[in-house]
Amino acid sequence: MAALTWILSNFWALLVIALVLLVGLRIAWRIHKYGATRAEFSHILRRSPFYIVVLVFCFFAVSPFLIMFLHTFKTDGDLYRRPQPFIFRQEPTIEHLDALFNNTAYLDFIRNSIVVGVAVVIITLVLSLPAAYALARLTGRWGERAGILMFLVYLLPPTLLFIPMFRIVVLLGLKDSPLALIVVYPTFTVPFSMWLLQGFFKAVPPELEEAALVDGYNRVEAFLRVVLPLSLPGIISTVVFTFTLTLHEFIYGLVFIADTRQRTLSVGVPTELILGDVYFWQPLLAAALIIAIPVGLAYNLFLDSLVQGFTMGAVKG
Amino acid sequence: MSLVQISGLKKYFDTVHAVDGVDLEIKQGEFLVILGPSGCGKTTLMRMIAGLEKPSAGQISIGGADVTALPPRKRGVSMVFQSYALYPHMNVFNNIAFPLRAQRREKKFDKRVIREKVEDTARLLEIDMLLDRRPRQLSGGQRQRVAIARAMVTQPAVLLLDEPLSNLDAKLRANARDELKDFQRSSDITAVFVTHDQIEAMGLGDRIVVMSEGKIQQVGTPQQIYDDPANEFVATFLGSPSMNIIASAHHKFGFRPEHFLPKTLNDNPENARIFHYFVKRVEYLGSDRLVYGYVQGHDSHLTLAKVPSNVRVSLDVETDYEFAVHYRDLKFFDQRSGARITRRNPAEAL
Repeated sequence: MAALTWILSNFWALLVIALVLLVGLRIAWRIHKYGATRAEFSHILRRSPFYIVVLVFCFFAVSPFLIMFLHTFKTDGDLYRRPQPFIFRQEPTIEHLDALFNNTAYLDFIRNSIVVGVAVVIITLVLSLPAAYALARLTGRWGERAGILMFLVYLLPPTLLFIPMFRIVVLLGLKDSPLALIVVYPTFTVPFSMWLLQGFFKAVPPELEEAALVDGYNRVEAFLRVVLPLSLPGIISTVVFTFTLTLHEFIYGLVFIADTRQRTLSVGVPTELILGDVYFWQPLLAAALIIAIPVGLAYNLFLDSLVQGFTMGAVKG
Repeated sequence: MSLVQISGLKKYFDTVHAVDGVDLEIKQGEFLVILGPSGCGKTTLMRMIAGLEKPSAGQISIGGADVTALPPRKRGVSMVFQSYALYPHMNVFNNIAFPLRAQRREKKFDKRVIREKVEDTARLLEIDMLLDRRPRQLSGGQRQRVAIARAMVTQPAVLLLDEPLSNLDAKLRANARDELKDFQRSSDITAVFVTHDQIEAMGLGDRIVVMSEGKIQQVGTPQQIYDDPANEFVATFLGSPSMNIIASAHHKFGFRPEHFLPKTLNDNPENARIFHYFVKRVEYLGSDRLVYGYVQGHDSHLTLAKVPSNVRVSLDVETDYEFAVHYRDLKFFDQRSGARITRRNPAEAL
């Protein structure tokens, strides 16, 4: 606790020291490798402005997360009186973090979100893998039209659909249960991931499948043994994308589930931590940050193949 | 006896008649080449033999059994694709073992048998040191061998090859052609080879099927096809430069440039037809001289002559010469259909 307080109080000094150390180490390593020559120093000097600009942009990109992180530990007095986002004028505290985990159903929200997300991802894959494969290989006029038609479903906004959907959920007896979301979310995740997957499947040359057919396999086996392994990066990024779609969905989650303990993150956090016009900023920001970090990392890992999936669908579709 | 029998085979894509009534018999152990310009339906024909394309009409039987409705895996054929279609996510060993694994249950192959078969085939094609590599780490020639090994490892009844040499550079291609022919002869496999390259076709084929516009124009040995073409298309498609065709009052007649020689070289002028030939341009090609000129009375298009360089005849441009073609080298074609006409007395026919 004392260590955390010390780190947070001296956050900026520590950050600058860490940066200087990193840059120093990098320069030392280069000099160790290439020798302390005039050419080496002029190289470092020439490259420096570039890295300084990069650093500035990095700071802009990271600053929302930094503010979220620092505010989590601020006392109410420090937060509201004379706003000063980057420094602590009062002793940092973890009481808000403690409140988030112990006085709200935050852990339930996380659990519900994960259960709903995983179930929806599985349902989505089961439905959209065969659909996307069929659309990728049905290159005729009707195949393409069917694909576009299915994607159009994705463009219907949930604000238009939530009332009829609510009737259906009540009819199925799923009100106030995460099951309701598991049933409804595929209505937008399936068209979306189908469109993405179609792009990835189109990138697999049909000749490879034909080779598998001639080599003694049937179409399903050819798909499983040749097409699937080759489009695995695409499938993984589709999974990540589908999961985040369910993670930030709000309207269905709000309307279908009234019981706090059954709610998901995207609904539970704002409804629990905003009461009327009172915003509990510290736990709100902490709740958002804790979820944003793993999702951000996953996106970073699969960003390239994700972009590829979009453009393939667009160009060849 | 014939291993593959094709009768009345048709394939329509919407209104395009890709293959338009093909009858063909492929004999056990022969190297059959399907030759034709691009878009003539030769690849579609091969894909129908493989089972990758469903015929609109007609029948295919392999080894006496009707396979028209069977999927590729039940036909006992294998195929080498133009792009080789090696599985990029598997190493060479697994690529070659892939078709064996498909038959694992049915033929009771265990791991040891598969390893043996893959290694034997790889040794035969001299790629046994590449088994751990991925396809992208291989050169074009090596990829082609892996593709052939994968197609051969199950000892199929028919090996189909779709322009497998077209992705190799010229030097490698001649070599690969030679090896492919040796390999086919020693393994005694029945091979069907699709190409648009007449040199490949002449060099490889025991028999050649010439196709155009979805129809078979002629089937025969390379020599039959070249010396005794069935129609104008076959006559002009084969040979480089192609056969000269001249229209006369009742029919067309043709002769190959290498048979069109100065009269002085002809030892028996009675058996030859003499033409007055105006030489416009001469290209020296090393072993031959290629002569461009006009035959008197047929000035509308160029007539070519191919005169060996070692023949001591001087040929000057913008000069009239007398050139001769032996009567047996003259081919006659119907003016409208282009079909070959036999003339008992070619001297009179002219």
